[in-house]
Amino acid sequence: MDMYREDVLDHYENPRNQGELTGKDVKTARDSNASCGDMVQFYIRIAKSSDRSPKSAQGSELIIAEVKWKGIGCAITTAAASKLSEYLQGSSLKDIEKMSEEEIMQKGIGFEVNPGRMKCLTLPVKVVKKVFTHTPKI
Amino acid sequence: MFNPTVIKNDFPILKRVVNGKKLVYLDSGATSQKPSQVIYAEKEYYEQNNANVHRGAHTLGDEATRMLAESRQTVANFIGAKEQEIIFVRNTTEAINLVSYAWGLDNLKTGDIVLTTVMEHHANLVPWQEVSRRTGAKLELVGITEDGLLDLDDYAKKLFLKPKIVCIVHVSNALGIINSVKEMTKMAHKAGALVLVDGAQAVPHMKVDIKEIGCDFYAFSGHKMLGPMGIGVLWGKKEILESMSPFLTGGGMINEVYPDHSTWAELPEKFEAGTPNVAGVVGLASAINYLEKLGMENVRAHDKQMIEYAIDQLSKVTNLAILGTSDENKRSGSVSFEYQGVHAHDVATILDSEGVAVRSGHHCTMPLHKALGITASVRASFNVYTTKEDIDALILALKKVKTVFGK
Repeated sequence: MDMYREDVLDHYENPRNQGELTGKDVKTARDSNASCGDMVQFYIRIAKSSDRSPKSAQGSELIIAEVKWKGIGCAITTAAASKLSEYLQGSSLKDIEKMSEEEIMQKGIGFEVNPGRMKCLTLPVKVVKKVFTHTPKI
Repeated sequence: MFNPTVIKNDFPILKRVVNGKKLVYLDSGATSQKPSQVIYAEKEYYEQNNANVHRGAHTLGDEATRMLAESRQTVANFIGAKEQEIIFVRNTTEAINLVSYAWGLDNLKTGDIVLTTVMEHHANLVPWQEVSRRTGAKLELVGITEDGLLDLDDYAKKLFLKPKIVCIVHVSNALGIINSVKEMTKMAHKAGALVLVDGAQAVPHMKVDIKEIGCDFYAFSGHKMLGPMGIGVLWGKKEILESMSPFLTGGGMINEVYPDHSTWAELPEKFEAGTPNVAGVVGLASAINYLEKLGMENVRAHDKQMIEYAIDQLSKVTNLAILGTSDENKRSGSVSFEYQGVHAHDVATILDSEGVAVRSGHHCTMPLHKALGITASVRASFNVYTTKEDIDALILALKKVKTVFGK
């Protein structure tokens, strides 16, 4: 099965950045997939970038400083959320906000699935989009 | 003689190839495939007889009207009902909505109890949630035992709440469990409640006699019993149907129309507003003829054989837990399981790559899955064309899950 590539299975078996975040600077959102009951929740801490931040070009822009997520999901949803969490970490908030769902999927998840499984792949993306529609003003 | 291998030849779609593999269709619980006889009956209707019913003073109109009436008689005979008690709807969901709105809105009030079960398909739960919200009635659910059977002690207890109506599934679509609807109806009637039975998963596999059950409403779909999609049946007791207001109004269901009010047609037309799905009805009657030719006793015997064989073979697969009782006498139509450590959707995708079609997810029974403590399951479901070889193909394909996930 092409869908179940080695890296996908690795992210499924060893999901990165699982957990929760708390605090005033943390925004969170959750959603579930009506056809299977799978649920994903993302926690994102936004901060002003420091010079040590690897992905920030300008000194004072807002970046995604920390990402955690939790959920119940299939291999596709789990691997997608895990890969996405790695991609988001350290990214410029502006850049991510500008991206469409398709772009986030391509750049942040980077693997493809059968049409029947698209909902598994898009669930974490939708949740992340939802987080940013309520971004806190810092 | 009942031979599923020979029966298979009547179903053109089962010759299909999927992902380079011969299709093994184990998703009949979602919808059954259709034999050539049914497909031909619909085609023949459109090629030879199509006209709107009742209204045309011409030959085709008469033919269509006669075919609708004859098909209604076929459906009535099949479940032991009277012809005017057979209401054609789109599907089971619409049949239950008809009762929840047309009976519920007029007969439920604040504080009344509607009793259903945690095992229901969303079709027999959500309409009751909605009508309860509108009327102020309270919805109560009967729980399940560890074996996945309805908890009859809990049922007896909840009947003390004096529900106005009890809504139960005859055969669970997610667990394949057969509920003792006859006894449950008796108990409900003693408590003064009406009884609606959701028969969508029962009618395809066993002889259903509504008089024997004794219930007040019985709902089922054509498409799960070898018939076309878009045609379903609500059966209801004549006196109750007559006392009810119409569900949908408009053409076809009226007696006389004045500028400011109207009077209703007799049963069954009172509940069939608009142009009926005559082709669907004709196809459904053809499916019933097909099933009766096979004999419903033989259909049920084969159903039990498939369940027994599937449970037997699936029990040998490691990391796999079968949901519900393993007694085939208490089951019909399907076997659901949880593949431990691998999500149901992933299992289904891998099976599909081997040509094996199953259902994965919560099968429109979210409260039931929650009660079982799982998020999703895999369901293999059967019909008259299912063979032991199909189940063998499922078992073989499950080995690939182990290869991919190492579990």
